[in-house]
Amino acid sequence: MDLTTSTDSSVPREFIAVILAGYGSGLHPLTSDLGDSACPKALLSIANKPMIDYTLDWIEQGGVQDVLIICPSTHRAAISHYIDSEISSSSSLRINIQTHDEDEETGVGTCAPFRAHAHRITEDFIVLPCDFVPPPSLPLSKLLNKFRTDTVTDGAIATSCWFECKSSEKGSYPEEWDTPSSPVPIVWHKPSQSLLHVDSSDEINRNSDELELRMSLLNSYPSSKLSSKNQDSGVYVCKRNVLDFLKQKSEFESFRDEMIPWLCKMQYQRGKRAKYSKALENATSSTQYEALRHSTRHNQAGIIIQSQLESESQANGWPGSPTPDDDSNSFPSTFGVGLVLHELADGPAIRVNTLAAFAEINRFFLSQIPLQANKEKPPTSEQRIQVSTDSIIGDSTTLDERTTIKKTVIGKHCKIGKMVKLTGCVILDHCVIEDGCKLDNCLLGQSTKVGAKTELSKCVSQPGYEVAAGESIKGEKLQSSDWTAAPGSSDEDEDDDDEDGSEEDADNDDDEGSSADSEAGTAKTGATAAPNKSE
Amino acid sequence: MAPRSSASTTKEKLIGGEDEVLQAIILADSFNKRFKPLTTRKPRCLLPICNAPLLEWTFESLALAGVKEIFVVCRSHSGQVKAAIAESKWSKPGSGIKITTILTAKETYSPGDAMRDVYTRGLVTSDFVLVAGDLVSNVRIDEVVRVHKERRKTNKDAIMTMVVKESGVNHRTRSKGDSAVFVLDAETSECLHYEPVDGHPKKSTVQIPREILAEHPELEIRNDLIDCCIDVCSAEVPSLFQDNFDYLDLRRDFVHGVLTSDLLMKNIHCYVLKEGYAARVKDTKSYDAISKDILSRWTFPLVPDDNHPSGHVYEHLRGNKYIAKGDTVTLSRTCKIGNNTLIGSSTQVYDNAIITGSVIGRHCVIGNGTVIRGSYVFDGTVIGPNCVIEQSIIGAGVSIKEKSTVMKGCLLGDGVMVGPGAKIEAFERLSVKPGMEVQMDVEEDSEDEDEDKGDDDSEEEVEEDGLTEDDTELDSDIEEVEKIQDTLKAKLVLGRDSNALVWPRGPILDDDEEDAEGPDNFTNQRLVRLADNCSDLADSDSDNDSDASTDSNSDSDEIPIEAGGASLLLSQPQTEFKREVKLSLDRAFEEGHSVDNAAVELKTLRMASNVPLVHVRTGVVAAIVDRIPIVEGNPGEQRQAIGKMIGRWGELINRIGGIDGVETVTVLQAQCASSKRVALFGPILVALYQQDIVDEDDIRGWHELPVSQGVGALLSEAEELKRCWTVGSRMIEQFDEQESSEEDDDEDSE
Repeated sequence: MDLTTSTDSSVPREFIAVILAGYGSGLHPLTSDLGDSACPKALLSIANKPMIDYTLDWIEQGGVQDVLIICPSTHRAAISHYIDSEISSSSSLRINIQTHDEDEETGVGTCAPFRAHAHRITEDFIVLPCDFVPPPSLPLSKLLNKFRTDTVTDGAIATSCWFECKSSEKGSYPEEWDTPSSPVPIVWHKPSQSLLHVDSSDEINRNSDELELRMSLLNSYPSSKLSSKNQDSGVYVCKRNVLDFLKQKSEFESFRDEMIPWLCKMQYQRGKRAKYSKALENATSSTQYEALRHSTRHNQAGIIIQSQLESESQANGWPGSPTPDDDSNSFPSTFGVGLVLHELADGPAIRVNTLAAFAEINRFFLSQIPLQANKEKPPTSEQRIQVSTDSIIGDSTTLDERTTIKKTVIGKHCKIGKMVKLTGCVILDHCVIEDGCKLDNCLLGQSTKVGAKTELSKCVSQPGYEVAAGESIKGEKLQSSDWTAAPGSSDEDEDDDDEDGSEEDADNDDDEGSSADSEAGTAKTGATAAPNKSE
Repeated sequence: MAPRSSASTTKEKLIGGEDEVLQAIILADSFNKRFKPLTTRKPRCLLPICNAPLLEWTFESLALAGVKEIFVVCRSHSGQVKAAIAESKWSKPGSGIKITTILTAKETYSPGDAMRDVYTRGLVTSDFVLVAGDLVSNVRIDEVVRVHKERRKTNKDAIMTMVVKESGVNHRTRSKGDSAVFVLDAETSECLHYEPVDGHPKKSTVQIPREILAEHPELEIRNDLIDCCIDVCSAEVPSLFQDNFDYLDLRRDFVHGVLTSDLLMKNIHCYVLKEGYAARVKDTKSYDAISKDILSRWTFPLVPDDNHPSGHVYEHLRGNKYIAKGDTVTLSRTCKIGNNTLIGSSTQVYDNAIITGSVIGRHCVIGNGTVIRGSYVFDGTVIGPNCVIEQSIIGAGVSIKEKSTVMKGCLLGDGVMVGPGAKIEAFERLSVKPGMEVQMDVEEDSEDEDEDKGDDDSEEEVEEDGLTEDDTELDSDIEEVEKIQDTLKAKLVLGRDSNALVWPRGPILDDDEEDAEGPDNFTNQRLVRLADNCSDLADSDSDNDSDASTDSNSDSDEIPIEAGGASLLLSQPQTEFKREVKLSLDRAFEEGHSVDNAAVELKTLRMASNVPLVHVRTGVVAAIVDRIPIVEGNPGEQRQAIGKMIGRWGELINRIGGIDGVETVTVLQAQCASSKRVALFGPILVALYQQDIVDEDDIRGWHELPVSQGVGALLSEAEELKRCWTVGSRMIEQFDEQESSEEDDDEDSE
């Protein structure tokens, strides 16, 4: 059923993919603003490829062509620039970037963007976060096919995707990096692969000791599974009508925590079904569905089971006499939420929404390329540079002599000085690391400068941060606000970062040449400074 | 036939033979009255199902499973049980099974008591099979035992394996009024949570403790299992009953207790049967269901025409009709025998009679033109011409005269006479009037002798025994019923020379029946009643369902109910426990015990009374709050007094066996709101916070609970609660101010 990307455009489009590219508050300080320009989460590089690339590739491979990216207005310029320059030339995707600004203070509210842009979504849609990195064994088409099957045979209205989390060993990352979000218990039905209950945070707040399940769920699905090792991928394939619900339920904020659990309940709460049946009827009135309705087989599957359940509950075990049951006729389908469960054994999937996850995914990609020879050796002017095979080094990056690099990702246009030792680091674009530095398990944001002879261990740096020479820091978040603003103030406030913004490159992507130059300049000064110090 | 019930000999023998011998314990008493009045003269385990006593079916099931030694624990009518066992083919030499009857004390009122008795007698020394005396099964229990033993090799704490059968939610054998939800580990099928589900009051949610999720990532929630009540237990199970005197029911108390106990650390597993048949005759409805299952051969190889437990021989005809072999049955040429019907030997069916879906005992007479549908007629009953009998159980030796009608769901006790022209309404229960029963006894006995071979002397004696033993209990029941005879009878046409006593239909009047709570409440009983389809109940239920689920906001609607329920629960044992806690704390305060000592004392108390931690917390908080002197008009001094008290004793709140700040605050709020110390809530909370007994998150957590705002509380208290809540709000505002700068929203902005 896989549609190839070369589908004729006369075929009406089936899906539109909606990517929510948020601020990435879980990833800051990496996503803090660099001067005036934003460092959107979507453009954060994973193994030297912006995060959104993974998502777009996935969408393209799934045979979907229309993409709507919704991002904060401050991110729009950067993202659209990237898309225009990098993506559109090489792919068949039709990408539309729209902005939606929510009140940063009051929180996320993933439902709001959908309400605002509902008019742009005229068909069934796929909700995607920009930070989900699926393994090759989980193609988008798997979800789409599940959705296609369920909506037609079962009357499902959405399909969700969950994956088994990797149990991360304690202590591998500093605590303040936020270990990848903990798994959420879900109840699901194995034979039909449908999601029945999500233990959302609301429920946990309501009753933190016990998980409450309705008897109506257990009566409709007497043998269900309760798994508590899975995480929500944030990818949902939905019927267009889900948007109508969103409008009706204006109090919903979070798609994951409120909308999906609410949709799940539709499967076993008759009252709710009755109430929203109008909207649902539209949801299921596709021609294919109509055709199936006339098929005897489908009728039996859908209706007889229902009426049997109900009449049996009334007649208590006596073979159900087919009582005229209006209810069952008007709800022939489950309106369920389908479930695609991805097991860890088939390759790890990850949501890159915490620093720990970011480090983890980079490490994972490194471990995947051990035998693949590094295509282009970095321009090494000197000998004795040791780059282990499980490292990635971006274009135009220079390494100086006697530098050792292990298990590290280095972005583009970086400059690494002499005698630098990098182990298990992720170094984003335009960083400068001066001579004699030792970095261990660090994440450096864009354009970070590390002075000579610095030792950093388990640190994260904000874009544009400058680490003074000779320092030794362990396990800290290096943010410019640390030494200017009051402790603990939010870094997302743009005005906080003004001080170092103006002098540096105005737009990170726009004028790479100039910024590289300027960095080269600073690097030079750094390089000259270092020997002075050491000698 | 003196049973060698002496414990010591049994024990020695077992030690000699090691654990090769598979033992079984049959709890032959049902400990409830669901079959009254059929069981007034006879124990339930001797009621016939498909013309063989239930106990025989149980023996047959156990024999099939390879059990070699059986202990039958019986209480009421023990004489009859003994006699029946003596008669059983399994007592005959060469049967390969040793059956021992254990007579427990009359004060044994529950399976738990019986288990304690088993313990004191030291009957079992190794793993054993525990079943009820009303089991019909063709399950290979030996396989379960093997699995159980295998598991015990690696895990000494796996004390019990429950056999459950996969079916469906609405399976006819799965009792509506008395089922359960099992939460099992997907891999080991360890039972992690057991939630009994009563039909009434209808359960709306199942609560699964979150703590089990952490250790068991993959769980199965099963609402489609029939609890076969076959348990493979290790020898320490009886001792657990001995240690916990409050365990009454095997499931609701024992299993639930073991699983929820944070002290015992024992595991219970389930063995999920995919095939095979096992079910208990727990009530009249399951009697009906199991009879149908046997007739439709689900229990194969235990079917009437093969392996009939009483050794009767039936011929199996097309349409699952079973007619006793040997030409003793007289069927009129014009009578109609429908499908799924069994007719015992020497029974006569006259012209134009119609019998469908029924079981007719031996020596019965079915008159001309009588219609019997879905009914169970025991031995020796005579039904006159032109009667209609629908979905009822008719005891032995009953006589129903011509033109009588018995509507569905009736139970007619042994020896009842009704008619002619009697009209018995649905769900009526009749037994013999006490005055008439002497005569009936004779009749019944002669009946017994007729079929049940000779051996009169010993049997007679024993039987006498049994009767006298139960007389007291029976009498009280019957007296009760007799008092209200006139009103009851007014509605019925019983026919002249009827000897019947009408049992009340409504909720049982006995006060010691504890019908208000537990699974034995009247409405719930209706769900397990023969032929009662409870359509009225079902209707109201579905209304509830839809009401509760119309809106997503309904989630919050439930809380008031829960809160109300919780406060109601604080009844009998809790008040007692509260008093104990108060005394204990009084001592501690007066004599100046250390916090440690006081904590130990409280833990012991809690263990002894087996109450949830929240009660202990309530007690402690109450004691502390009550002891804070009220200083009028001097806030400073008041604060000092509070600080002193909390400083000295506050720590105790977190030393009682678990820390739960949210609960502490909630309890404190309730305590303050219900006493004169409302004004102290704020200062006390501050003091607790300063002492680190509750932290900020706890206060926030409490603040978010709807209960904290007085939702669902009584009107009088709601106001005070609300006042406390407002105090809390102010405090949280302060927190917010203090830490507003640090606010750091980690939520992902997907």
